[in-house]
Amino acid sequence: MPDLQFQATVNGRKVARSAKPHQRLLDFLRDDLQLTGNKEGCGAGECGTCSVFVDGVLMKSCLMPVAKAQGAQIETIEALARTGELSVLQKAFYKAGASQCGYCIPGMVMAATAAIRANPFAGREEIKERLGGNICRCTGYQKIFDAVEMARDVQNGKLPASALSEIEAEQGDFIGRNVRRIDAPSKVSGALKYAGDMTMPHMLHVQVLRSPHAHARIVSIDTSAAEKLEGVEGVISSADVPGEDGFGVFVNDQPIMARGKVRYVGEAIAAVAAEDALTAMRAVEKIKVVYEQLPAIFDPDDAMHDGVPVLHDYAPDNVTKHIPIRVGDVEKGFAESDLVLEETYATQAIEHAYLEPEAGLAYVDPDGVVTVVSPSQNITHHRHMLARIIAKPIAKVRFIMSPVGGGFGGKEDMIYQGMLALLAMKTRRPVRLVFTREESIISTAKRHPSRTTLRMGLMRDGRIRALEMKMISDGGAYGLSTEGVMRKAAILAAGPYVIPNVKIDTIGVYTNNTPSGAFRSFGALQTEFATESMLDVAAERLGLDPFEIRRVNAMRDGATTHTKQKLGSVSLMRALDAAEKASAWEKGAPNSRGGNRNDLNRDDVRPPVSLGARFETADKQEAAE
Amino acid sequence: MARKRGRGMAACWYGIARTATVDRAGAWAEIDDGGSAKIVTGVTEIGEGILTVLAQIVAHELGVKPADVVIGDNDTARSPEAAHAGASRQTYMIGNVVALACREARARLAGVMAEVWDVEVDLIRTGNGECWAENTNHRITMGEAVDTCKKRGVVPVGSASFGTDTTGLDPSDGAGRPWQAYVFGCQVAEVEVDTITGEVQVLAVWAAHDVGRAVNPKGVEGQIEGGIVQALGQGLMEDYKLRDGHTSTSGFAKYILPTSLDVPRVNSIIIEDPDPIGPLGVKGIGEPAMVPTIPAIMNAIYDAVGVRITSLPATPERVLGALREKQRLTSLQAAE
Repeated sequence: MPDLQFQATVNGRKVARSAKPHQRLLDFLRDDLQLTGNKEGCGAGECGTCSVFVDGVLMKSCLMPVAKAQGAQIETIEALARTGELSVLQKAFYKAGASQCGYCIPGMVMAATAAIRANPFAGREEIKERLGGNICRCTGYQKIFDAVEMARDVQNGKLPASALSEIEAEQGDFIGRNVRRIDAPSKVSGALKYAGDMTMPHMLHVQVLRSPHAHARIVSIDTSAAEKLEGVEGVISSADVPGEDGFGVFVNDQPIMARGKVRYVGEAIAAVAAEDALTAMRAVEKIKVVYEQLPAIFDPDDAMHDGVPVLHDYAPDNVTKHIPIRVGDVEKGFAESDLVLEETYATQAIEHAYLEPEAGLAYVDPDGVVTVVSPSQNITHHRHMLARIIAKPIAKVRFIMSPVGGGFGGKEDMIYQGMLALLAMKTRRPVRLVFTREESIISTAKRHPSRTTLRMGLMRDGRIRALEMKMISDGGAYGLSTEGVMRKAAILAAGPYVIPNVKIDTIGVYTNNTPSGAFRSFGALQTEFATESMLDVAAERLGLDPFEIRRVNAMRDGATTHTKQKLGSVSLMRALDAAEKASAWEKGAPNSRGGNRNDLNRDDVRPPVSLGARFETADKQEAAE
Repeated sequence: MARKRGRGMAACWYGIARTATVDRAGAWAEIDDGGSAKIVTGVTEIGEGILTVLAQIVAHELGVKPADVVIGDNDTARSPEAAHAGASRQTYMIGNVVALACREARARLAGVMAEVWDVEVDLIRTGNGECWAENTNHRITMGEAVDTCKKRGVVPVGSASFGTDTTGLDPSDGAGRPWQAYVFGCQVAEVEVDTITGEVQVLAVWAAHDVGRAVNPKGVEGQIEGGIVQALGQGLMEDYKLRDGHTSTSGFAKYILPTSLDVPRVNSIIIEDPDPIGPLGVKGIGEPAMVPTIPAIMNAIYDAVGVRITSLPATPERVLGALREKQRLTSLQAAE
């Protein structure tokens, strides 16, 4: 198809350029005009960070072919603060603390701008509904609603403009004060450059070939056809790794690209650097891999049986890590108990879903330093590992952490930085890789799914006499953070309670599933879910209020933990008291008494959602006043 | 009534910084021209707000304004090692080490000014961009103080290292000292369950968390609100599905995340039980904020409709299934 002669007005300026017919409006704005304020988060119109105005209408620019915007008036996030001064809404986001990682914020600001243009008097519930097409993974949305309400009230003259300015510290003490986030202006204006927004002169684009099989031997990789393609500057596979291959947070069991066999669907096998991403993509399709499929294992319980496939030679039982904790004698404790409960709990794998998919650049600097720029949560460890993998002295390897568009543990793994380094070394040119959302989801770590068996023995007065827990967790194909997750899960499993007899076992297992890794709350979420759920059952059975059963067992100042550590000050009682008081909790055993409670539906509870029913018109609003 | 309400609660504990290993971080500080401050450390922002927290700590320690703090960071070739961004360690490890580096830089400046003014060094004060000697008329701007130092051949710099007194776990019984700072928390959730569709809405969460010392209370609230909503996602809707190693949830059309319409009103209560070991008393909040949310919601579902969800997530299908099972058991009992 011939190029398109594209004309439009973008942020007040006439633009006349040729564009590729396959380009989306988002690509044209970001790649051709370098307007990188609006981001790509999903490429499917689900997340909203690419939202721009087309002829004044909020549009997801990842869903719009550029040809559809022919002749239109287009405004991006850069249009809102064109004079250098933030808009009222941007200032309100700054003041309210509405940005965290900032990656969703350009789209969120556009959607919020549209919301108060559509109804300058919109109430909080209507604002929520109008922002329903934009996902934020960091903030929990509350401060975003606060910001939109604040901007609305300033615009309507209900609040002075000074409501948006910085507070003054008293006596120069800035600790304990709500100082505005110093990085917020760069985030609400779209000025901050994440790795996927960065370019370098003479830069190549990288694409990755990934495994379609969960477990297979790689018989051969033939890259010759890919290398011959015009515009391809370098193709790499595990044969190109000069040093000792293998990375991981606790055990270096994962090669930069599959070596000899693949262990999960989506594992990297080879990578191409080419003049543009499309050429790199075509080259990836020309790489021929011959596989010999191997039996695979998908259930962690099955993985521990004899005679099943073994994923890694160093772990013939497929156990990545087993953490035991032992205090007292649980069998004796259960025998002494008045009530013994037993239940199994299960938690699923979940995705970090940071709005910024993985991206990075690499180059070799004039002094021969291999440099990787990426949103890595652990540049220190990555530098160590990469130096060994590419056989360079540590001083010749440099990691720069670019602004992180959400991490939550998911960017602790060196899952793609090795490929970037190898391609920069091979091509002697800067290279950049930007994951698609699908690539991010299939190839990077998840939260460990778990199956937990829990037994709890209690005395009639609520005291826990014994607790026994066994958690089996699917670590997937590689170790990543499994060892650490099992450790934290075990240490915290029995909760902040004094229990004389404790037996905990957490076991992380290899399977051919997507690897599990670090995820905010790191194993404690799984084990404490089980313990805290069972305490509610115990309270019901013993006729105790759920706060009371926790107070009966609570660790106090000077308590000893289940790992036999003596604590100093313990704030648990204060936390219980504070939550009970703030929620005006009505005392009683948790026996499904919801229907009879008198503490429900207070002022600090939001109304339930009924879609579309809450839109207020200006007339209605004015009439109400 | 098709829609039923209930409440549940859960508590939590959590360890701050790296687990069962020695954690460490380094930082450099300089009180710079014009009374600004230059801070260099190896790892900072992933969205939690640590840059702002550091600017506040630096302003507090040096007596400059947060807006005059410049932070150089996150480059293995240009900044000292500070390990990683995770483990709820940023305010604790980076905050404390930056405070210590600032104290060294400030001591250099104070030493020069004590000499110039001929007063005891303990009488030198700095705050909000000014430097003065207590009980005297000596008072200049921090910019002038830096200038004075430099004319005497002194650059007011400092550096620090902050490490934890922690150990690994015994391989047989787990005994050890995995952390030196612990936090505790408690959350109450109020839900509404639609008994026809099985849908659960979380209408409010009251969240009380110990953070040691809240450097920026709004930032703490942001971590609590965000953590609760991530936990709500895992509790009610998110599910990475695999079949024979292939996922059927590779995009946001199938992998469902909480939106603005799903989130509860979060009422945060910040508790400050200062850490006695670090110089600032701070602890952390990133991860603990998520821990009690799911059991609080599941306990609230039981309070509302009498079914215990033990396998996550509590999707409408799963809640309806549990309600039908409960009805079946009730009618069986009635028939007996």
